[in-house]
Amino acid sequence: MFPVKSFSALCGLMLPLALSPVSAQAAPTVYPLMLSNCGVEITFDKAPEHAIALGQNSAEIMLLLGLEDSMAGTAFWPSKVLPELAEANEKVKLLTVESPSLEGILAERPDFVAAQLLNLLGPESKVAKREDFSNLGIPSYVSPGVCATNTASGDVHGARDQLWNMDLLYQEIDELSQIFDVADRGQAVIADFKAREAALREKVASEGQDLSFVFWFSSPTPADDAYLGGKNGASGFIADLLGGTNVMQTEVEWPTVSWEGIMATNPGVIVVADLDRDRWELDKPEAKIAFLKTDPAVSELEAVKQGRIVVMDGQAMNPTIRTIYGAEQIAEQLEELGLFK
Amino acid sequence: MSGLKRHFGEQAGLGLFLLLSTAVLMLAIAAGTGIGEMPIPLDTTFFAVTNRLGWTSFALDPIHQSVIWDYRLSRALVAACCGAGLALCGAILQSLLRNALAEPYVLGVSAGASTGAVAIIVLGFGAGTITLSAGAFVGAFASFAFVALLSDGARAGAGKTILAGVAASQLFNALTSYIVSTSANAQQARDVMFWMLGSFGGVRWPEFQLVLGVVAIGFVVCMYLAKALDAFAFGDDAAASLGIPVEAVRVILFAVTALLTATIVSMVGSIGFVGLVVPHAARFIVGPSHARLLPTCVVTGGVFMVLADIVSRVILPQQVLPIGVVTALVGVPFFSLILYRSQRSS
Repeated sequence: MFPVKSFSALCGLMLPLALSPVSAQAAPTVYPLMLSNCGVEITFDKAPEHAIALGQNSAEIMLLLGLEDSMAGTAFWPSKVLPELAEANEKVKLLTVESPSLEGILAERPDFVAAQLLNLLGPESKVAKREDFSNLGIPSYVSPGVCATNTASGDVHGARDQLWNMDLLYQEIDELSQIFDVADRGQAVIADFKAREAALREKVASEGQDLSFVFWFSSPTPADDAYLGGKNGASGFIADLLGGTNVMQTEVEWPTVSWEGIMATNPGVIVVADLDRDRWELDKPEAKIAFLKTDPAVSELEAVKQGRIVVMDGQAMNPTIRTIYGAEQIAEQLEELGLFK
Repeated sequence: MSGLKRHFGEQAGLGLFLLLSTAVLMLAIAAGTGIGEMPIPLDTTFFAVTNRLGWTSFALDPIHQSVIWDYRLSRALVAACCGAGLALCGAILQSLLRNALAEPYVLGVSAGASTGAVAIIVLGFGAGTITLSAGAFVGAFASFAFVALLSDGARAGAGKTILAGVAASQLFNALTSYIVSTSANAQQARDVMFWMLGSFGGVRWPEFQLVLGVVAIGFVVCMYLAKALDAFAFGDDAAASLGIPVEAVRVILFAVTALLTATIVSMVGSIGFVGLVVPHAARFIVGPSHARLLPTCVVTGGVFMVLADIVSRVILPQQVLPIGVVTALVGVPFFSLILYRSQRSS
C-alpha cells in the first residue's frame, strides 16, 4: 500500500517540513523596497496590508505565502481554489470570479494590486491600467511570466517557441514574498516546489518509462474536435517532467485536433482534464472517459483498451502553480496503473 | 402667413426641445458621475469635480477624487460622445442608402476593426508598438476602402453599396476566424471576444479628447450638408436637379461616417442598437428634416448611451456587463413603445 500512496504522502509532508524555521534563512525585507516589474519601477514603504489579487494564480501564490490576513480581495477565478488553500481563502473577500470593475477594486482601498494577466491590468485592459493605481500612490505588480512572453513575441499569452518552465513562476513567488516581507516563506515554497519537481524527475528516471501523453482539455460535443494541450505549454512541461513526450508537436498553445488526428499519434496515456465549469458536454472527466470507452473508433486505441486513462485537474494545463500539482496527480495514477517499474 | 407662423413655431419648438434634451444630457452625465458601486456622498462628488476644475480646493479622499474625475466623469463623457456619434452615423447612412435598416456597421467597419484587433492580439503585429485601438482603426478603414472600391466610390447606388458592405463584413469576419482558428489559443480567442463585445472600461481623459474632436467635426460637416441630405431622400436624380453635387456629397458623408465609426469601434468595441434605433426614434419626435433630425440624434444618442452605461455598471455588483447587452435590453422595449404609439397615431 505504501508505494501507491507515496506521492501524496510526499506532497503532504514536504510543505510543512520546508516551512519549518530550520530551512528558513532568507533576509527580512528592508523598506523602502524598490523593484523593477515589467519595465515599471515600484516602491514599497512597508509590507502591503490590503492587497488585491487579480487572477487565480496571483491569489493562490499569496495564499501559499500565508498572506490571507494582508489581502483585501481577489477576482477572476477560472476554477476552484486549491483544496489546501480553501480555508485561508475563506478569509479573503471574493470580488467576483469574473473580471472586476476598477471602482470595485478601489472600493476595497487597496495598498497593493497584483495581477496574473495583462487584460486584468495592462495598457489595453478594460479593467484597470497601472497608471490608475500609480496615480493614487498604489504600487501594482504584473506576473513576470506574462511580461516575458509579451516582450519576446508580441503575443500577450505566449505562443511559445520554447518549453515553458517554472523559473518565472519562482521569480514571481520570490518577488511577492519580498514585497510582503515573508521572504522565508517564499524561499520555502520555492524549495518545496523545486524538491517536488526533482522528486518527480528522479522517480521517472529510475522507475519510469518513456511514455507519450495526450492532454485532452475538453470538447463541446463528442462530434467536435478536441481541445488539447500543446507542446510548449504547461502540458508539454508536465509530459517532460514525467519523462515522456506530448504527442502534439505543434507550438500552438491549445491545438484543436480531430479524433482521427489523435488516433494517428497513438498516445500511450490519455490525460483527461477535470474542469470546474459545466459549459461543454465533455467538460467533466466522467463524460470524457465514457466517450473514450464507447466511441467505436476511439475505443480501439491501445491506451483505451489497456485502461491507460488518467484524470488531472484542468487548471494544471494553464502555466500556473497548479501545473506541478497536476504532474503529481498523473504520477500517482501512473503508479496505480503499474506504469512505474 | 400661417405657414410662416408654423415655421417659426416649429423652430421655437425644436429649440425648446433641444434645450431641454441638452439639459437632460447634462443631468444624465451628472448621474453617470454620481452613481457607481462605491458609495460617494453627493457633495464629495460635486467638490471632486470643482476641485479638478480649479474652482475649489477641498481636502478630499484621493480615491474618491480619482474615481469621480478620472473614472466616472471621463467615462460618462466618452459614452455621451459615442452615443452621439453612432446615432449621427446611423441617421446619415439611413438617408444616404435610403434603407431603414442601415446602421453604422453596414459598411463592414466593425468586421474590419475586429480583424485589425485580432491581428494585433494574435499575430502580434507591431510587437507592442501599435496599440490595439490603432490596429482596429486601420482594419476599420481597410474595410471601408474595400467597400468604396467594390461600389465604385459609392457611385454604384445604394443597393450595391449595401451589398459591398455585406461582402466586406463577410470577408473580414472570415479573415478574423481564420487568424483565430489557425493561430490563437483559447485565452486569446476569449480576449478577442471580450474586446469585441464593447465596453467603456478602458476609457480615460485622452480618449474623451479624441472622440469629442472627431464627433464635433463629423457633426459640423453633417449639419453643413443637412439640406443636401434632405434632397437625397427623393433620389439621386432629384438631388442633382436641385444643384447638389451628388457624388462629392456622398463620398464626403461616407468618409465622415467611416471615420466616426472607426474611431468609436476602435475605442470601445462594437456597440449595437444605438445607431440603428436612435435615428428612428428621433424621426418620430422631430420628423425627417435633417437640420432638426441630426441635432436630435446627437443629444438623444448621448443620453441613451450614458444611461445604458450606468445600468451596465450597477446591475452586477463588482462587475461590468458588456454595454451592447444593455443597449439592446433597454433599447428594445423603448423602441417597441415608440413603434406602437406611432402605429396608433397613424
